[in-house]
Amino acid sequence: MTLPDRSALSRRAYVRALVAVGGGAALSACLDVTRDGDDADPVPAGTDDPDSLPARQHAWNEFSARDEDGNVQLPEHHALVPLSLASDAAGDAEGNNGDDGTTAPSEDDRQTTETALRTLERAYEWSHEGLVFTLGYTPAYFDRFEGSLPDSVDLPAPEALTAREDPAFDEFDALLHLASDRPDVVLAAEEGLFGDRNELNGIDLETDLTGVFDRHDDRRRTGFVGAGLPASKTDVPGVPESVPEDAPFLMGFRSGFARTQASEDRVTIDAGPFAGGTTQHVSSMDIQLDVWFGQDNHHQRVSKLFSPTHAADELVGEVGDELADTSGVTDDGIASAEAAAREHGVVGHAQKASRAREDGNPPLLRRDFSTVDGDRPGQHFLALQRGIGEFVRVREAMTGADLDVSSANNGILHYLFVNRRGNYLLPPRSLRALPPTAPNS
Amino acid sequence: MAPDDPTADDSAGSSDRRTAIGPVLAPATDTTTTATRRTLLSRTGAISGALATGLAGCLGLGGGGDDEEQDGDYGGRQPTVTVEDPPNAVFLPTHREAMRVGEPVTAGEFRFVPMLSYPHPFWTIAGSDDAAVERETPDVGRGVHMMITVQDRETGLVVPVDEGIQFRIRSDGERVGSPVSPWAMLSQEMGFHFGDNVGLPGDGTYEVEVTIPPLSVRRTGVLAGRGEERATGTFEFEYDDEFRDQVIDGIDYLERDRWGERGALEPMGAGADGSDGSDSGGSDADGNAGHGEMDHAHVPYATVPAVDAYAGTRLVGDASSGGASSAGADGEETAAAELPRSDDAPIVAVLFETDADADESDLARLAGDENRTQNPEQYLLVSPRTPYNRVPLPDAALTASIERDGELVAEHELEQTLDSEYGHHYGVVVSGTGSDTSDSESSSAIRSGDSVIVSVDSPPQVARHQGYETAFLEMEAVTFEVPDGAEGGDTGN
Repeated sequence: MTLPDRSALSRRAYVRALVAVGGGAALSACLDVTRDGDDADPVPAGTDDPDSLPARQHAWNEFSARDEDGNVQLPEHHALVPLSLASDAAGDAEGNNGDDGTTAPSEDDRQTTETALRTLERAYEWSHEGLVFTLGYTPAYFDRFEGSLPDSVDLPAPEALTAREDPAFDEFDALLHLASDRPDVVLAAEEGLFGDRNELNGIDLETDLTGVFDRHDDRRRTGFVGAGLPASKTDVPGVPESVPEDAPFLMGFRSGFARTQASEDRVTIDAGPFAGGTTQHVSSMDIQLDVWFGQDNHHQRVSKLFSPTHAADELVGEVGDELADTSGVTDDGIASAEAAAREHGVVGHAQKASRAREDGNPPLLRRDFSTVDGDRPGQHFLALQRGIGEFVRVREAMTGADLDVSSANNGILHYLFVNRRGNYLLPPRSLRALPPTAPNS
Repeated sequence: MAPDDPTADDSAGSSDRRTAIGPVLAPATDTTTTATRRTLLSRTGAISGALATGLAGCLGLGGGGDDEEQDGDYGGRQPTVTVEDPPNAVFLPTHREAMRVGEPVTAGEFRFVPMLSYPHPFWTIAGSDDAAVERETPDVGRGVHMMITVQDRETGLVVPVDEGIQFRIRSDGERVGSPVSPWAMLSQEMGFHFGDNVGLPGDGTYEVEVTIPPLSVRRTGVLAGRGEERATGTFEFEYDDEFRDQVIDGIDYLERDRWGERGALEPMGAGADGSDGSDSGGSDADGNAGHGEMDHAHVPYATVPAVDAYAGTRLVGDASSGGASSAGADGEETAAAELPRSDDAPIVAVLFETDADADESDLARLAGDENRTQNPEQYLLVSPRTPYNRVPLPDAALTASIERDGELVAEHELEQTLDSEYGHHYGVVVSGTGSDTSDSESSSAIRSGDSVIVSVDSPPQVARHQGYETAFLEMEAVTFEVPDGAEGGDTGN
């Protein structure tokens, strides 16, 4: 891995590039540059008492910042680290082999994994200022066990969800999602689990995950979300100078409004051995961002992202600043998705997606973020929901294949190109270390 | 991948937001569906030196001026001209484009023809008011305007609707930029096609993978059931001085006093067979006969049938409602002149019925298998098209209201449809034993003496090349009368 050229980049762009590269050298460089700056504050320490932490891995909201409108703000920096069980790590005492010849993880592996994750929790406060993380498992991971997941877990293998896409699928075993407002913490946590570090934030590392998991560096993904971060990425080809200064996402508008997000309760599995867990869908996509900013005007962008009514009535503001805690898609707006297609020739993305609400409640908790992985603009769309079927249903509503509207004016379909999809079970914290299909049985 | 400073090797491209990937270029590998650069043809319509010189002065050609980097690879020679105060109607642009045309490429049940020119302005549409139209002014001084026209291989019908086609560009195995969703576009010379301005990092050989998603538009006749699978095909092209000289030197300017005149350029390839009767009736007057020199005959051009080519009962509209028409000498122009226009788009409305023998097979086909159980008795076909060139106007939303003795008796949302015989139109099964929901058994069928009001809920959501950007936007409703004895296909024109 080659480190980015410090002299050619702004500080923010440089730090972003370091997170994208990853590894020990990137971490050192990151620490060097952040110590110089205003991030020199110490990172808050974690806890020795695991019971003080929430039972859900996905319990992030309570520990996240809020904006002035009460919307949860995701941590700014993210890494998605794909993992497969290490070939020499497997084989438990019972010789518990799955149908496909892969070997189930051992009790030692579980112990090692749990110990390593608890070290992260001791090192960093469970918060946006420290570190939040989840460890999720794919359907492919569970294939190694005899027996299938209980009916209370809706976790099908990923599949293409629109006619135009031909995605690759996440068929490795697990995905570690690391998130923090501190880029150096994201890097250090990954290095602590898989690299050469002996300590994290003053806590000695007893063990790491290198004997349990192999990383897939080629599938590693990173990203960012937060006002100003996208505008700092114009050093990347395909990210135009016209990305608004205050935009939190590359597409230039706010998202994740409190009233368009499911609660953590709503997405939590409520029965069976994995109660307290959730499911996660991750799709990674390119964005044709230069067209979005260069060939559409603001009125067109608002029409396509929100609704034609938002554009005509100027409800959004430059980056969504007028919207407070809601996308502003009213019941009328929802009802009129079909009408908008006919009367305006345009349907908004939010307008379509909100058709999937149940009794006015959105079923998805989005934790997506922008990316310039591969030096191209994109989005890692990460969503939590009780079952993957709910994601599929919302996705169908978002696609709007039923709407009589041209592809270019069908929300933002024209601008997005899905490359990968993956489905995951995020078990409750108590089962996060290499769970079998039927725990506690 | 390390984010090595991507702009360091490319100072000339510093003003180009898409520039900077910089892969090492080498000949791309051929595939069976790859058209090589050797097969690319040029269009060599000549521009006289005197005209070029005169234009350069008043148009700012080559006048990138103080910043040479702005000129990019084309040296600022791209036309930057606009027509001042164009009419709210189809008008003659300033020039004919020059382009390279590739060999047709097979992609599943489709075939497409790639075309390349210099990056040029066009207008995107998302809605129907002024704010919904945006002029794209390319700031790519390095790159191409990349286009394809897609045909169904069996019927030859040009696919004229926006279904979400994608381009993925590679050079030497490396991806170049983001994928591209080309716009559905209307151009006077190329008709309906898909295209966009695409920035390129530099000279070299490029490979373009074209993905055509399954068709979702309603299809009838032999098109029903076709195009259900996603298909891909690949072409490659060379981007170099020779290409740029070709597409710039081949630009063919119209005489200045004709810019903005009502009319349209003839379709590309129209010269190959002399005339297809759809000439603008004016373009020849500039004395340029460049088309005969080039073989563009294999570039498919989307047209809908001439007005008298439909069996069925043609509904009679008020031709005076849509403004002046451009009558020509031949029969088509005369018949077309009788058509009502909406924002300069002639609209054909035809009724197909069971009790007219000539219509029977058309009716069954147009009504489609999905309506067979309803014993369809009538099908209303509405075909808006460009004047002069008969290019279909897709991705609009049309409603037909039926009035009898001044009372509204029925309202039908028309569905965009591709028919293997009549091509693109908007249609609806009007009556049948299964669809008759009114209290009076006969009231839903369209009768002689009824008025059929076609209203445009939203205009064609298709990007426009120069000469089409002010038409087909604020489209008024047009009214047709159902003639007496509305059976039989012979309306005696």
